[in-house]
Amino acid sequence: MIEALIGFVAVLGLVLLRMPIAFAMGLVGMVGYMHLNSFRGAISMVGRLIIDTTQNYGLSVVPLFILMGLLVNKGGLSRELYHLSYAFLGHLRGGLAMATICACAGFSAICGSSLATAATMSKVAMPEMRKFGYDDSLSTASIAAGGTLGILIPPSVILVIYGLLTETSIGKLFIAGIIPGLIGVVFYLGAVWFTVARRPEAGPAGERMGWPERMRALGGVWAVLILFFLVIGGLYGALDVWPLHLTFSPTEAAGMGAAGAFLIAMARGGLGLGDIWEVLRETAFTTVTLFTVLIGAWVFSNFVNLAGLPEGLRALVTDYAVSPGMVMVLILLVYLALGCVFESLSMLLLTVPIFFPLVTSLGYDPVWFGIVVVVVTEISLITPPVGLNVFVLRGVVPDVTTGTIFRGVTPFWIADIFRLALLVLVPWLVLVLPNSM
Amino acid sequence: MPAILSLVRVVSLAPVALSAAALFAMMLLTFFDVILRSAFDSPIEAATELTRILMAVLVFSALPVVSGRAGHIAVDLTDPLFPPVLARVRDAVISLACGAMLWWPAERVVVLAERARDYGDVTEYLGIPQVYIAWFIAISTYATAVVLLARGVLLIAAPRLLEDPSHD
Repeated sequence: MIEALIGFVAVLGLVLLRMPIAFAMGLVGMVGYMHLNSFRGAISMVGRLIIDTTQNYGLSVVPLFILMGLLVNKGGLSRELYHLSYAFLGHLRGGLAMATICACAGFSAICGSSLATAATMSKVAMPEMRKFGYDDSLSTASIAAGGTLGILIPPSVILVIYGLLTETSIGKLFIAGIIPGLIGVVFYLGAVWFTVARRPEAGPAGERMGWPERMRALGGVWAVLILFFLVIGGLYGALDVWPLHLTFSPTEAAGMGAAGAFLIAMARGGLGLGDIWEVLRETAFTTVTLFTVLIGAWVFSNFVNLAGLPEGLRALVTDYAVSPGMVMVLILLVYLALGCVFESLSMLLLTVPIFFPLVTSLGYDPVWFGIVVVVVTEISLITPPVGLNVFVLRGVVPDVTTGTIFRGVTPFWIADIFRLALLVLVPWLVLVLPNSM
Repeated sequence: MPAILSLVRVVSLAPVALSAAALFAMMLLTFFDVILRSAFDSPIEAATELTRILMAVLVFSALPVVSGRAGHIAVDLTDPLFPPVLARVRDAVISLACGAMLWWPAERVVVLAERARDYGDVTEYLGIPQVYIAWFIAISTYATAVVLLARGVLLIAAPRLLEDPSHD
């Protein structure tokens, strides 16, 4: 087990030396495997993983969901989602920040990535909030926090990978993400409310819109609704009706979603050849980086398993008679700490193979654990010093300092900790939907 | 030398285009498979294996290009601690190490490819020989290793050449 711990430290060191995360995990995994097994065995294992990972049918859902999100973005749907939320909430104090949260949630329903959600919404929401004199810390924080909903509200690339890694039903994971996602929205709205209650000048009210205008705004988002129901409905057999008996596997749902987003963007005339090229290229590049991380993480986790870390942890827990609740608290603390260095996918890939056997042997539900892990990962996206969503925003609005964003994020971060505690204490909130399937 | 590099940039468009085409084909394939199955009860039986092949093409065409652009996910937490010269040396060493570590797995993929040829492994419906797919993956892995090694050398020898004005 000591080898595995040395391995962890080595990965951390290499990553801090700016070695790409995938290569750091791959290198340490390969060398460690050589040490425990043989040179030949290690090279063989890596070669096999390189061939097999990319030809894994289940993983084809990843590029297709990324493609769908980017196409939706090109089709201009993010603007309309924001417009709709604004129409209903804009007249409240802090209303534009609340609208941002809701638009992020809506965008999450068709996009599987938090970084994409934050990047997209910042382009739409930031100029509006500036126009109404919102405090930079509140506007950027609401986007960074709202963006984290992207990996919880289905579809979610991270949940897909958790499902494949642990052989948990992706359909169940998706549906389990809905209530925690909505709780996230409500808590974030509370954080906005709290911020403007303390400092009213941070978020002045916008103009009130009449009902006719609101209805018109509602008409603008039909495409988002159709896509969401196509993907999620198809996945749960809700579209299994005459004449088209549509039921999808996750890959098919992603393919239909991408094709649907493509058709919608075409129909709205917002998609030229140049745009299509750009979207395909970006999806391809993102897919490559994700798959490299996947392969690296698998190499590393093979080493860690060979080194007996999961059994070692289980033995430790039994020897010291640690209660399951305590184990969970410790695991969550490990996640919060790792979140300071790693981005979400690497963190998940690095830790789930180790913790999952322990957690399930203690009687925790695999679906519940998946959701809790994703919520912790979300928190890491807005935790100083490296919360990635914060850096996405820095890229889009370079004139706001990281410090300002983190200051604004604090209430949202606290809201997240409350949500995490709630989901840990009341697992029913996560499990009621998947268990009723 | 700059002429060679701009040539490299133009040539690197080809694998990206192949990757993009594979992705687009994957989307169409899934779409038509679902529609044909749901409406006419006649699914595309080879859809699964075609998706697998398209995935390999999608990832391994673009892999050398992404590596050459230093596009892999990395953590820049410690950047302020490194003065520019030291940072360059560090990046060069990292790039060389990444390239070197891929060499043996790439060799292994060739062995596995040749094994697939000997066993006569083919895909289930279309009978496409696995050896082609495995060789494609092997070549891409080698290309990635070469690109990373070259990048490492250039970072030390001629860092100017890696500054891409059109880099986005």
